[in-house]
Order: sequence, then structure tokens, then C-alpha cells
Amino acid sequence: MEYKPSLPENNDNVSHDQPVREFVLLFFGITLFLLIVFWILGLFVDRAVNYITPEMEAAIFSSVGGSASESVDNSNPRQAGLQRMVDALRDCIQIGYPLKVHLIDLDDANAFAFPGGRIFIFNGLLDKVVSENGLSFVLAHELAHFKNRDHLRGMGRGIVFTAVSALLTGAGSDLTQLFAPTANFSQAQYSQERERMADEQALQVLGCYYGHAGGATEFFEAMKPDGDKNSNVFGHYFSSHPEAVERINNLHRLAGKMNLPVKKVLPLPAVLVSQE
Amino acid sequence: MEQLIIFGILISLGYFFGRHAEKKHYKSIQEREKHWLQLPTTCSKYVLEDDRIIDHCDLVNGSMVVSVDYFKRILARLRNFFGGNIQSYETLIDRARREAVLRLKESCPGADQVINLRLETSSITKGSGKQIGSVEVLAYGTAVYFCK
Repeated sequence: MEYKPSLPENNDNVSHDQPVREFVLLFFGITLFLLIVFWILGLFVDRAVNYITPEMEAAIFSSVGGSASESVDNSNPRQAGLQRMVDALRDCIQIGYPLKVHLIDLDDANAFAFPGGRIFIFNGLLDKVVSENGLSFVLAHELAHFKNRDHLRGMGRGIVFTAVSALLTGAGSDLTQLFAPTANFSQAQYSQERERMADEQALQVLGCYYGHAGGATEFFEAMKPDGDKNSNVFGHYFSSHPEAVERINNLHRLAGKMNLPVKKVLPLPAVLVSQE
Repeated sequence: MEQLIIFGILISLGYFFGRHAEKKHYKSIQEREKHWLQLPTTCSKYVLEDDRIIDHCDLVNGSMVVSVDYFKRILARLRNFFGGNIQSYETLIDRARREAVLRLKESCPGADQVINLRLETSSITKGSGKQIGSVEVLAYGTAVYFCK
């Protein structure tokens, strides 16, 4: 046998496809797949939420103190004043919850609905609103979240999405990071939709309680970024709340639709007026 | 968002540097393969043209450890989702194999033949979780020197 050396013409051991093309295809394929999975799982979460009664919720979350430790004590007249407002507004929105207001001594202007029927209100919020109607709108918005059980939906989605991402991509790996925006996007879009719904219901509560829509946009006007300073172009899609300007316009539109006039607002109860 | 930007930078760095290194390496491999073409190398147990008298034999080996770049690693992990041919690792193993054989040949420049060529692969970072994977390809064989 004679040895005839030669090199192969083609290298058949490697593929000659474009790796970038493969990357793009796989990345968008998986993103699409995850979006569909998250959407379906979100529907399951919604179903599960219907089975959780307020009593069950209170039992589950009674051990979770949240930031209650930072809240001012019950004898605080401001907290009592807020509690009175919430109790009064309840007549206009049917909620099967015992609700407890916690005033938190933080300067952020924020309020949120916490599982177990607790409304956390940050001190900073009281500096931003100037009228009773304005404050009522924010409280009514949180009441609407309780009515719609958005706190449970949001939390359930958070848990499920995180678990699924970790399961599919391996917890804490590079891939988890790569697909984190997909989960954030799914959750943010849903959250924004629920916020719009809560805004609409809060407006109805204002209409029922005061008979007009005055003060509804007050808080958002105060939170609106100054001038043309545009926030992050893409950040908007991943944010849990719609932008202040959009919410204001939306409220104006809804008030028009509901035939709610804008009348003079009531001043804040003296006890809630910011001391500074 | 910041994480994604860092991610993007790592991936593009991996892609461009990895591609550059690969091209350079393939060029070198092809040139050296041409140069060493005249050294008969087989995996047969017996020497070719066995009528010649053997002076002596040597055990020779060559090895290469090769690692993936970030881009290839992510691409392979994406591929893990749906399964299939992990193309991004193919060039890696191919380069390691050919380089190992070339190093083997370069280790015995005076040999007349290399017989009984074997290739073995071992994963260096097997089981150590998040580390970048790398493999060693070891080529070993018998270099045969005929009497002049």
C-alpha cells in the first residue's frame, strides 16, 4: 500500500453557519417562548388568587411584619386621621377586608397595599398632596388594589416568574440575567394595566364620595418630572407604574367619560397638614 | 438594564476576540498541516512499507487545552434550551484536535512515520459549575525511525 499524503478539501467537522444568526434566532425564540409561558402562568396565578379568601390571606401574612416596625404608634393622630379617611371612603367601594393604615416615617412619597389588609403610607406622601380630595384619591387607589387583589396577583407573579426563570436557566447564571428583562417586562406590563384599572376605580370612588373629580390628578402633578426632562426611553416599558403624565391624561379622559365635573377641593384635615 | 449592557459588552468582546483568535489559529493550522503533510501518520499498529529496518521507536505526544469564549458559551447554553447540534463548540474541538496532532508531529521532526496515533479528550473543568469550560485533547502515538 502506497502512502499518498493529501489534505481534505473541506472541513466537514465544523458547521459553516453564521453564529450570530443562530444567536439572534435562539435568543428571540426563547424570549417569545418565555413571554407565552409567563402569560399562561399569569392566568393561573389569577385563578389561584380567586381561591384565597381575605381571612386566609390575613392568616398567611400575619407573621410577615413588613415594615410595620417602622410605622408610628397607634396613638399618632395623623395615622388615626388617615384611618378615618379610609373608613369613610370604604362606603363607596365594596371590599371584603378589614383595613389597617400604617403610617411609615419615611420621606418617600409613596403608598402601597400590603397583603393582609394593610395600607402603608409614607410620611413623604402627605407633603406632596395639598387637599383632602388629593389624598382621598391616593387612598382610594390603594383600596381599589385591595378590591382587585392586585397585591396578591403581583406577588404571585413575582414568585412564579422568578421560580420559572431559575428553573429554566439555572439560578443565578448568566442566562438568568439575559432573560430577566423578559420577566420584568411581562410583570411591568401587567402591573401598569392594573394601575390604570385602580386609577379608574379610585376616580369612581371620588365621584361617589365628593360628587366631583377635583384633586384626582393632584398627586401625579406633584410627581411629574419637571419640564421636558424625559425619563429613560426604554425604562418606561419595564416600570411597574404608567408615567405620571400618562396617568393625568388618562384621568382627565375618564372624568370626561364619567361626566364628573371638577369642583373646588377641600383643604387637608388640620391634623394631616405637614408640620414643616 | 445595566446588567444587560455589561452582558452585551462581554458577548461582543467574546465574539470579536474569539473570532479573531480562531481565524488566526486556523490559518496557522493550515500552514503547518501543509508543512507536515510528508510525515506519514496513521492509526495502524504496523508500519507502512514494512520491508525497511527500524532503527528505533519513540512514544510521542502532543496536547492542547482550549477554552470557549463568552459568546460561544452563551450560544451553547441557549442551544441547551431546545437541544440540537451545538455548533459553537465544533470549531473549538476541531482546532484542539488538529493542533494536538501538529504538536505531536513537531515533537519528532526526524521521524519517518508516526503509527498507532490515538486521540483522547478530557474536560478540565468538569463539574465545577459556573467556570468557563475547557477541554484538553491529547494525541499520542509511536514515532518510527528507519535505519538510514
